[in-house]
This record gives sequence, C-alpha cells and structure tokens, in this order.
Amino acid sequence: MLPFHYAARNLLRSKSRLLQTIGGSALVVLLVMAAVAINQGMNRVLSASGSPRNVILLGTGSEESVQRSEVAAAAAGIAAAGIPGVSEELGTRAVSPEIHYMNHLGLPGGQRSQALIRGVTPEALRVHPEVRITGGTFPRAGQVMAGRLAWRKLGIGEDSLRVGSEVTLDGQSLTVSGIFAAPGTVLESEIWAPLGDLHVLARRESLSCVVLRLDDPADFTEADLFAKQRLDLELSAMRESDYYGQLRHFFKPLRVMIWITAGLIASGAVLGGINTLYAAFASRVRELATLQSIGFSRRTLLWSLVQESTLACLTGTLLASAAAVLLLDGRTVPFSIGSFTVEIGPDVALAGILTGALLGLLGALPPAIRCLKPPLPAALRMS
Amino acid sequence: MNAPMIRCRQLTKSYRKGKTVVTPLEALDLDVPAGEFLALMGPSGSGKTTLLNLLSGIDSPTAGSLEIAGEDIARLSRRELTAWRARHVGYIFQLYHLVPVLTAFENVELPLLLSKLSKKERHARVATALDLVGLGDRVHHVPAELSGGQEQRVAIARAIVANPSLLVADEPTGDLDRDSAARILDLLRGLARDHGKTIVMVTHDARAAAAADRTLHLEKGQLLGDACGHS
Repeated sequence: MLPFHYAARNLLRSKSRLLQTIGGSALVVLLVMAAVAINQGMNRVLSASGSPRNVILLGTGSEESVQRSEVAAAAAGIAAAGIPGVSEELGTRAVSPEIHYMNHLGLPGGQRSQALIRGVTPEALRVHPEVRITGGTFPRAGQVMAGRLAWRKLGIGEDSLRVGSEVTLDGQSLTVSGIFAAPGTVLESEIWAPLGDLHVLARRESLSCVVLRLDDPADFTEADLFAKQRLDLELSAMRESDYYGQLRHFFKPLRVMIWITAGLIASGAVLGGINTLYAAFASRVRELATLQSIGFSRRTLLWSLVQESTLACLTGTLLASAAAVLLLDGRTVPFSIGSFTVEIGPDVALAGILTGALLGLLGALPPAIRCLKPPLPAALRMS
Repeated sequence: MNAPMIRCRQLTKSYRKGKTVVTPLEALDLDVPAGEFLALMGPSGSGKTTLLNLLSGIDSPTAGSLEIAGEDIARLSRRELTAWRARHVGYIFQLYHLVPVLTAFENVELPLLLSKLSKKERHARVATALDLVGLGDRVHHVPAELSGGQEQRVAIARAIVANPSLLVADEPTGDLDRDSAARILDLLRGLARDHGKTIVMVTHDARAAAAADRTLHLEKGQLLGDACGHS
C-alpha cells in the first residue's frame, strides 16, 4: 500500500488544478444539496399544509383546483348541520366557508404582484388551528391579514407588508390589519380577507369550498356520504391532506426540472473535474510506471489516485456544505401557491457528503485507468 | 558449475507497429553468473533497453525462455511479474525516476512497503541503504533539493534496499558529470563485488562499460560474440 501522504502531497503539486478540482466538486455538491433541500422544502410545506382531520367540500369536477371550484353559499350551513363528527367548540361547529381567489394585488410602492387571497370568516381559525395571529387583528371589512411570508411570495420587502400598510385589490384599497403565522404551511404566503369583501371584489356569490374540521379523521366517510347524497349541492369531499398530496404530485414535474437543471450544470462540472484529474494523472504516467516497476500493482496505484481525488472532492464538499449553510439555510423560496423555507438538515448534509465521496471515487476512475493503461516500457519512456 | 543467475535461450521480442512487425530482439542466448557486473553496449535501436526490460520483468518475451535465479519468468502473468519484480529486481533509471513529493528516505522506503517488515525494520534498512550510498545526511531532502549525482544515489539505495538479487541499470551515468558518474560506477562495482549483486547495465559510455566485469555488444537485436561462455 502506498502511504496516504503520497496522495495528499500529490494534491499540492499543482495549486491551480487543486483549486479547479475542489471548486468543481464544491459546485456539484452545492447543486445537489440545493436540489435536495428545495425538493424537501416543497414537499414539507405541502405535506404540512393539509390536515387529515380537515375535509374540503369542493364543487364536483373541481377536485384538482380549489380556485376553479364553485360551491353554493348555503352549502356551509347545510354541511354544518348535516355532517356528524364535525368538531364543536362552545356550540359553534368548525366549518369554514372560503373563497380562494388568485389576482394581482397593488402593493406599496406601486408594484403589482399575483397573490392568493383567501376570503374567510373567523371560523377559519377553528379549522386551521395552526394559524396564529402574531400581530394586529383579524381583518374586518376593508382590511386584510397577511401571512408572515406573503412578502416573499409577492416579491417585496418584509417591511412593505406590515400592520397599517395599504394594498389594493381591483382598485379597492385595503389596510393590513394583522400578520399571521402558520409554521411550515403554504397558508403563511396567503392574504386573508373577510369573506363578504371577497364576494364583492371577486364578483361571485358562490364559495370556492367549505372546510370542515372533524373530531376523528375516520369520520371522513360521513362527509363523503353527505357529498354523495346531496346531489343538489354538487359537492365532492376530499381530505385536506389528500388535496395537498395531489398538489405535491402536480408539482412533481417542477421538482424533476430542478433535478434536471442541477444535473445538467453538475455534469458539466463533473466533466471538467474529470478532465482536470486526467491532466493531473497524465503528467505522472512515468512516475506511476516507475512505481509499477518497483512492484506496486495497478490496483494499489488506482487506490492511491482515488484517495487523492476523494480528498480533493471531500474538501470541496466541506466548502459546499459551508456555502449551503451560509447561502441557502433558512432562505424562503416562493412558488405558485406559496413559499417554503430551505433547510440544510442532516439528510441534506448526508446527500452532499455521499455526492462528494462518490465524485471522488468514481470521478477518478476513468482518468486513473487511462493513465495506468499504457504498457510499462512505453510509460517509462514518457516525459 | 553453478546455474547462471540469468539464462536466456532463443529470447525473442517482437511487436506490431502499424502493419509491420518489429523485432528488437531475436533468438538471443545469454548467461550471466551470479555476482557478475555486465555491461551491455550497442547503438540506439539495437535492443539494449528491450533486453533490460525483459530481464527485469517489465516486459514479457514473445518467444524463448528467460530464467532468473532458476525461475522462468517468461511464463509469469502480469500480476505475478509485478510481485516477482518487488522481490527480485532493483531498477536504476537514467533519469533517476524519484517520486518528487517524497523525501529521499521515503523514496528509498517505497520497495519495503511491499514487504511484511515492521516500521522499525524498514527504517533501519532505509538508513543502512542511504548510508551505503553516502547520503545518510540527506534523508529528509526531497529530490528537488538534491544534485543529479545525489538523486542517482538515492535511486540506487531504493534499488538495493529490498535486497534484490538482480540490479538492472539503464544508462545510470548518462545524465551525470564525470565525477558523479565515477562515484556511481564505484558504487555499482562495490555492490557486485562486496554484496554479490548481479548487475546488468546498459550504457553508451565506454568508460562506464570498463567498470563492469564483462561487456557485451548488441546489434540489430543480436549479441555479438558468445554470450554464454561457450568455448
């Protein structure tokens, strides 16, 4: 076995090559970590957004998009009275009639940005218990309440959307009355307005959906039965968790695109890295042949070259991990229905380390095999 | 009479170069007794280095037999040859071929890393080898910090440290000034005379060849004269 310091010192022979190898591997690892973290973040927020205890009553045929759904305004009261197992507090049943409305919002500074506005009554707080008002009050007529990450989704500064700020919707000025948190869910990127206001602003009498909170998720069958029996209401019942699960599936192509983009950039960096390693190994063909003439086997030399590249790639991994923590961890990324936070957790770090180790192990093989291939007499004559 | 250290019979090496077959060595017979210092001379392309590569197990013959210390190495696989080289051969190159990132000590230690010796035993052997070539005070220098003659002496220490029975040297003085060359030749002569090493040296230099016990001339892949000691 060749000593490890042989591999380590070889790395320092050409500082520019070393920097290229470390830089290339750091780029690949950073991209993989970013792709994993973004995918995880999107999955996490969509998974956390739906509760299995909540049932969404949607218009039949609109199961894929609550925004396209039309539900009669009277359906909320009928459902509250007709579905057993709905949670009840102080004599009030947890039933939330809602309008989900996507439109451009006029923002402070004259900017306009597309927002998801949810028209709600105070009952919404019963069916979405994760929502906590962190500042101000629940909106009344002429007011809205903003999720604490809505500013990110809207592409404005955090300070532009605080209690007292003015926004406009369809020419109507609305005051931000409160800020709410709903940790880890897409709700945090929404704007909530009073249901009555939204009936007017969206020029619709119907609701988008009715959300019910059950005492026991198993009571979903009751809600489903109700939707199927009340043909006059043209309703379809879905578990809220299933609805967001469906959205997760809907966003799968986006996640695949993230991987493809990361993969394309990474493959360029991998090829560059292999080329750099080839140049590094090719300059030592005679030395490798000398070591073979002394009695070291090709396998031993291959292992030493792999050690060398793995050491460089793991150094790149270390830098990429530091960059990921500094540049990505905690960042909020907007997407069409909300935003999510990127977290560089242990599994993302593990994905990075495995990528770095694989790069070092597999990346060294093609150039190493090629440089160990020439017959010894010819290799010993190479300059 | 004892069996020779090296015994070649009808040793032939040929290879394909494009559409033609090149035969640098053809049906060569050679005996070298143990402890002999043999010089091989000949013009460029005469097959000297090819013969040296065959004797040291770096290359394999196309035909014929090649026995070193009684073992027909022509029959060994590439992997077996690699292991055989580690045990039996020390190679000295014209351009030293030291590993630039290792110190003199570490370069000399390389062949011993293939043995089962303990670290202490290895270090003792390396120190002895470096003392023998007169470089006991340069152990921690890397090749770039040594002169050409010193580098070649480190290369000789590396070649002998594992105590091989055969040393092959390809133009060992070709890149050295006269004084350094004389010192290297003295060293090689001493290794043959005092330590019983069999040495085969390729050289273009008649003065270097004069240091050897016997000189053979190669031309067009054939040895001139009787190389087997037949009367």
